[in-house]
Amino acid sequence: MRHFSDVYAHLRRQNRSQYALLAGCCFFSVLLITAYVCMMRAPTVLNVLPEGGDSRKQVMMIFVLAVIGCAVFTTYASGLFLRQKSRETGIFLALGASKAQVRRELFRDLSAISVGSCAAGAILGSPMAWLLWQIFRLCVVDTEEMRLTFDLSSYGLSLLFSLFVIVMMFLLGSRSVKRTNIIDIVQESHKSEPIHAVPRWYGPVGIGLLALGCVLGYMVPTFFVLVLHWYSPGWVDAIFYIPALAGLYMILLHTVVNGWNSRKKLYKDLIATSQMRFQGRQTVRNMLVMTLLIAGAYFGSFYVPMMGTGSMIGYDARPVDYAYRFRADQDIPQEQEVCALAEDYSVTITDFAAAPMVRLAVDGDNHIEEDGPMGVTWRKEYEEVMSSELFLSASGYEALTGQRVDLALGEIRGIIDTEGSKLGFASDAHILTNYITKDALPVTPLEPLRYDSLFGRYVMNDADFAALSAGLPDAWRETQICFNVENCAETYEFANALFNEIVDRSAIEVAQYNGWDPVIRDRRIAEEGAYFLDRENCEENGFTAIDYDQRDSSAFRLGWQYMPTFRILDKLDFVKTMAVFLILFIFIAIVCFAAVIVIAFTRCMTIALTNRKVYDDLRHLGASDAYLRRSVRGQVKRVFLTPILTGTALIYAFYVLMLTFNGGTPEITPSELAGLLSSTLVVAAVSALLYGVYRLTLKKVWEEIR
Amino acid sequence: MLTVENLHKSYQTAKTSYEVLKGVSLHVGKGEFVAVMGPSGSGKTTLLNCISCYIPVNSGSIRLDSTELASLSEEALAEIRNKKLGFVFQDFLLLDGLTVRQNILLPSIIGGLISDTAENRADQLCELFNITAIRDKYPAEISGGEKQRTAVARALINHPLLILADEPTGNLDSKSTRAVIRSFEQAKKSLEATIFMVTHDSYAASFCDRVVILRDGTVWKTLERAGTEREEFQDHLLDAVREMGKTDSTDSIDNG
Repeated sequence: MRHFSDVYAHLRRQNRSQYALLAGCCFFSVLLITAYVCMMRAPTVLNVLPEGGDSRKQVMMIFVLAVIGCAVFTTYASGLFLRQKSRETGIFLALGASKAQVRRELFRDLSAISVGSCAAGAILGSPMAWLLWQIFRLCVVDTEEMRLTFDLSSYGLSLLFSLFVIVMMFLLGSRSVKRTNIIDIVQESHKSEPIHAVPRWYGPVGIGLLALGCVLGYMVPTFFVLVLHWYSPGWVDAIFYIPALAGLYMILLHTVVNGWNSRKKLYKDLIATSQMRFQGRQTVRNMLVMTLLIAGAYFGSFYVPMMGTGSMIGYDARPVDYAYRFRADQDIPQEQEVCALAEDYSVTITDFAAAPMVRLAVDGDNHIEEDGPMGVTWRKEYEEVMSSELFLSASGYEALTGQRVDLALGEIRGIIDTEGSKLGFASDAHILTNYITKDALPVTPLEPLRYDSLFGRYVMNDADFAALSAGLPDAWRETQICFNVENCAETYEFANALFNEIVDRSAIEVAQYNGWDPVIRDRRIAEEGAYFLDRENCEENGFTAIDYDQRDSSAFRLGWQYMPTFRILDKLDFVKTMAVFLILFIFIAIVCFAAVIVIAFTRCMTIALTNRKVYDDLRHLGASDAYLRRSVRGQVKRVFLTPILTGTALIYAFYVLMLTFNGGTPEITPSELAGLLSSTLVVAAVSALLYGVYRLTLKKVWEEIR
Repeated sequence: MLTVENLHKSYQTAKTSYEVLKGVSLHVGKGEFVAVMGPSGSGKTTLLNCISCYIPVNSGSIRLDSTELASLSEEALAEIRNKKLGFVFQDFLLLDGLTVRQNILLPSIIGGLISDTAENRADQLCELFNITAIRDKYPAEISGGEKQRTAVARALINHPLLILADEPTGNLDSKSTRAVIRSFEQAKKSLEATIFMVTHDSYAASFCDRVVILRDGTVWKTLERAGTEREEFQDHLLDAVREMGKTDSTDSIDNG
């Protein structure tokens, strides 16, 4: 050992665990971010998540949380590494090493760690995402739509995060050598970051602020849209969440500094509370990141049970097993052919019913968006011919449902589902117009009917139906078919065959996206020259064009206007149809939970390293193993439990808020409640896993302290 | 050798400034063994850290031979620390990952002075301070006294003009204290080392040629050994400490 670099290399070997910890943290962060970005930007996923849709926004929101979490985490790990190294650095400087000499060696180490671990993380990120995806394909579901391809641009984001890690490490490293007070550098590793007096009211006030922030953050943007007619930009909405973030910080501060036990128990928790207080700032920062990640992870985890339970309940609530509709100009199987096909599959059809429907224009408020100095605002403009809806005659409705409905001339009733959801339902039509003959009829809307399989249609008086439908061409006429089968659960093959037959015989002009409306189309073309839901414009407006060859894809099944609703098909193909959604959100949850586990473990090991001497002293003062173990548990428990409890409570509160106000009426529907209950099962399973990690961490920390 | 003139140093907290050294002046001649004593908070360690240029000073002059340390660049200061000064710290500041011999050689390695001669000198220093048997051990495997003797050997490896020792016996038992003080005496006698030591311990200070007593950031008194027996000199030191104690209580009564 003849050169300074030899000494450095020797010490590096001696302290390899410190190097491994930092390299591991950077590698893990870049790996997670790369995997997440690869998945988020994958064409496979983007094709399924509509641009500007809620799902894509949610994925982006959790991504931002993950980036913040990983950034704070890598900064913390770098700071920890430099603190552990500061004694060594201080001794070198004290013995006459120049700062340039020390900086050169330190930077050489930091280069190797940062570039090496970031490169490894970035390179292995996409294979990891691919591998996880393939495991899902193998174990859960595999469809053509799930073939995973990556977009090269995702590596740009990964590179950006890696650059942040590298630059941050060098900045911190440079700062650690730059200081003029060598004694400070030597003593750096012993320095604590105490948080001084935190009043006890921080706890309850923090909870209040958290609740207020959640309510404000959720409700105020809705208020802006509904009352002020203003689509507030994302940053304005984010401002209203600030009280929630402040409240969260106060809760964590109170937990770390004061604890939630009464003052009488102060001496019981004295060591744990005091020790945590002396590393307060970093601990609180870590816990805040963990809380947000836990909330993000559960947000992803809840997606599957919420959607799964809700959908299954919805399928069961349908009053008929099979329902489909088709335009009158299409050659789609009707009773005779359906019965013949059923016979081929030994299926017995019961209650076959068909009824004609017509598409009539309805009046309503046109929603006009305008760009202004404050962003996008909207205003309503009444149009006598606004959009179109499908209408059944009262006798047609009775034929389909067996339910008699008495309607006088000029009366109409909309049809909603049994849970009473009015989402996307225009119930206030007062003028109906035959779009071809321009004959108009003033109507009075009555209380809606409830029948899941005919959701969104209207029922009108038979005479009105006959009068208004006169002169309509076949493209404006449809047939609704409903029937039941015996042993529905065993008719999947038949359902699939009928579905394929319907798709095969549908012409290209009915390959229309949900919401495609001929009345709106004409107005848009007149005003703007194009209609965004037309096949040729779909893709550029963020919608996947309906393709009969992709009939098993979620884009097709969720998007096709004439998609049949066959109970058994929807039930058994649910996972297949929703595969990309489900797996994406499971993937996100795994990434976030993994980050939480690594951060918690690293934080707890730091507690062990920094507190070892304190525990030695306590042992010398006569503390028993049981006492020390309790104190260690007190700290580890706080690092684990507080973010987990807070994050879980936060996401439950947020979900309850969201479900309460998302249906137009402030109530939680039974299917939403069932979804929440099945989410609780996920929470229980994840909590069991986290408890296992907590026990393992506790064991490791205890071993380190002993 | 070392001349300190009118040295001022204050620490700044959020709102208050604490003046720790209020115009300290002293001189250490070549080959002298000088101690600085004083109660806690009198500025002993701050004085030593200023002389070592570990912390910046507010004003005043620190000259080593003819070199003004306070005005040197960081690079030049590092050179001085490495080649002209040797350091012994209360908590040893040995690197845990290096053996005793490697720790001793560290200043030579840092300064690019490593050679067979340096290695021989390290072995001689081990011999001199009776740590040859443990030279391949790591700091965690040796006693406090052995650690401090290793630190003294490390301080001497580059033939410094001056050894600066901060409470070198502060963490040691009486046997180890004697061994460390003996090593300073041997360094002075055999290697003609100049030693400037900060200590609380009147026993350790009684081995010195001269003791400077600090009080509230100023030099309160200087006691010369001048050929007196060590035990007698220690009595003089204790008398001085007692006298300072009386003054302190009178001051506090007056102030009260």
